[in-house]
Amino acid sequence: MPVNRKTDALRRGAQTYGTAAALLVIVLAFSAIRPSSFCTLTNFINITRQMSLLVVISLGATVVMSVGEFDLSVGQMASLGGVAAAQLAVAGVPLALCFTLPLLAAAAVGLVNGWVVARFRALSFITTLGMSTVLSGVVYRLSGGATVFENIPKGFSVLGTAKLGRIPLLSILMLGFVLLLWFLMRHTPTGRKFYAIGGGEEAARVAGIPVKRCKLLAFVLCAVMACVAGMLIASRVGSANTTAGDGYFLKSYAAVFIGCTASRRGVPNVLGTLLGAAILGVLANGLTMLQMPTYMQDIITGAIIILAVVAQRLGREDGQ
Amino acid sequence: MLLEMKHISKSFHGVQALKDVDLSLKAGEVRGLVGENGAGKSTLIKLLTGVYRRGKGEILWNGQAVALSSPAQSQSLGIQAIHQDRTLISTFDGIENAYLGLSYPIRHGKIDWKTMENRVRTTMESLGLELDLHKAAAELPPPQRTCLEIVRARMRECRLLILDEPTAALTEREAERLFSVVRALKESGAAILYVTHRLDEIFRLTDRVTILRNGAVVDTVETAEVNRERLIAMMTDGASVQAPSHASAFGDVLLEARDVASRDGIVRRGDLFARSGEILGLFGLGGSGRTELLECIYGSRPMASGTVELCGATQKKPSSASSLDRGAALICEDRRGKALIGSLDVRDNILLTSIGRFAMCGVSCRRAENAAVQAQIDALGIVLASMEQPVAELSGGNQQKTVFARAMMTNPRVLLCDEPTQAVDVKTRGEIHRLLRQKADEGCVVVFVSSDLGEVLEVADTVQVMRRGETGPRMENKNLTVRQVLSCCYET
Repeated sequence: MPVNRKTDALRRGAQTYGTAAALLVIVLAFSAIRPSSFCTLTNFINITRQMSLLVVISLGATVVMSVGEFDLSVGQMASLGGVAAAQLAVAGVPLALCFTLPLLAAAAVGLVNGWVVARFRALSFITTLGMSTVLSGVVYRLSGGATVFENIPKGFSVLGTAKLGRIPLLSILMLGFVLLLWFLMRHTPTGRKFYAIGGGEEAARVAGIPVKRCKLLAFVLCAVMACVAGMLIASRVGSANTTAGDGYFLKSYAAVFIGCTASRRGVPNVLGTLLGAAILGVLANGLTMLQMPTYMQDIITGAIIILAVVAQRLGREDGQ
Repeated sequence: MLLEMKHISKSFHGVQALKDVDLSLKAGEVRGLVGENGAGKSTLIKLLTGVYRRGKGEILWNGQAVALSSPAQSQSLGIQAIHQDRTLISTFDGIENAYLGLSYPIRHGKIDWKTMENRVRTTMESLGLELDLHKAAAELPPPQRTCLEIVRARMRECRLLILDEPTAALTEREAERLFSVVRALKESGAAILYVTHRLDEIFRLTDRVTILRNGAVVDTVETAEVNRERLIAMMTDGASVQAPSHASAFGDVLLEARDVASRDGIVRRGDLFARSGEILGLFGLGGSGRTELLECIYGSRPMASGTVELCGATQKKPSSASSLDRGAALICEDRRGKALIGSLDVRDNILLTSIGRFAMCGVSCRRAENAAVQAQIDALGIVLASMEQPVAELSGGNQQKTVFARAMMTNPRVLLCDEPTQAVDVKTRGEIHRLLRQKADEGCVVVFVSSDLGEVLEVADTVQVMRRGETGPRMENKNLTVRQVLSCCYET
């Protein structure tokens, strides 16, 4: 098949930097329309805080997608994490434990997800959809269906609201998690094994990579990250809503998919996910500033997600 | 003995792939393994590499019984393989693919990419190969992928190297490199199991050669003591072919393919034509591109270049739908995957390509459908409880007849059959042969693809051989012998 070298190079450049360029264009557009309110340091810092929770939950989704699976229970897992942490705090458990015990529960949930998917080769799509329903039931049982907000100790809100100088702690935590996961996925054998499985499960198995164990670990990591995000959400607002995390599920996968377009090989990657979440964050911030009605924001955001998926398919090297 | 396999048997869903196979290998030995398609070579390899669990029997490694229950375990013993179906991760670059399954070098808590690259590069250079290590495997052309696999096999400790049709995708020069790698390994005391259809390589490289036929070992002989004819005779059990009636008068050319090349590069040059009333037998060894050529002609596989003419009209944009309209029909090789929809009943499977034909004003007419389906069931003699029976419940032979029934529903004038008698019993096989002859006598073109040469010679009027993605000369099936055709396939 004859390939035009010039267009090929162009296509490749667009693949690698296209997503970043898209973010830049969006930022410039909003800056032009609302220079005084959008294009300020305060607002940019604000955006990093607004997107931090989405980034944390999306990082987990990135890991699970790198092994070629889905975890649809991240939203409910986040809700559960928030409610569990808040309930523990109300019960007078030391704060350090309030924010660690739910992680154990999340790891257990991830283990179940991963075990069912890896052991029985069940479709992760359906398995985790079932798990999300189970989890929302558990959340209801824990909270009695009401928002947990009475008698929450003051210290509970520190993680979500504290600032270091002008920088919110949430933004710093987000950055920390991004670095951690980036290192894991890019620079450790575990991360490379995840990508090997996502690239070709059978080939990875033949090469002697422990596919089941890796998948198990990926699901555990994903659930734990979702739980972290959920606890931070609760800490940020000082209360735990039974459905606080549910809305994050779709946006997190949108961030991952947009992120895939930032990789030349079209695979989920941590920095891409950060870019994806940033695009969604800037859009939400800017559109609100333009006083765009919510329905319009939904339409625009949704359209961008669909565009990103199309762009990812087009960017695939095999072209199929 | 480095490796001893004793009384190994393996079966899949009741089909015996290996029967009581004994095979032993010394260190420093290059052993050839030959046999026709389906003789059990791939199964044997997959047992050794831990991809399949062994059925019955015992495997000894340096005199000790081993389980070989996973690829990781097999590799840790020093058994490396270069597979026929490539096992690279397409999104990974050369360095990571070479390291796949090895433990990564760690420095300061993170993967040491420099060391990795250096090690891979050193290995590559010591083999005299040239590769762009930073390209993803998907971007490499097939020969380079094989080279990458060779590098990968050399990255680890290698006591036994299994090569499964390694030169299938290689150029002459790269093949020479591979041969020198094999010789160097032999010098270093490793054993090599060399599996190939190319007999000249067997004679060039191997010390001894084991012949498999129908899942059993025929013999193991010193390579120096046999010749090509003897090997082929042992592989094919030397059966002579009875000459049934063949047609000799043909009508117009209904199918012509010129310079067909598939986009994925498997078919490189397909040239064939077939006349009304003719059964054209297309024979090729596994991986020769025979199935792919048929799919190109039918339009279900994208073509890079070439033209296909069906019933006098050139296919501008070949697609399954337009081929069907022009009067072609394809019987797929992959019966369970592509030809039948297991969850549907027999009736709906037969109707699949002609659903629209029985509709009136967009509403399907069940009575007309049933009548047409019943006519085909009667004509082909499909044995079933009712036409609402799920197709998966039928026997293999009746399933295959169902596939034929579907093809007949559109009254095809060009019938493309890929392994139409695989996994059917002798009786059905005969019935299918008769059906094909009957269709040819009615003025159709039948292209008959099979990996069973005896069957091709039994059925076809004209035989064409396919080799490495290219079609060979047309041979009239008069006094043609298995050996004559096979020597075309094995020619270099």
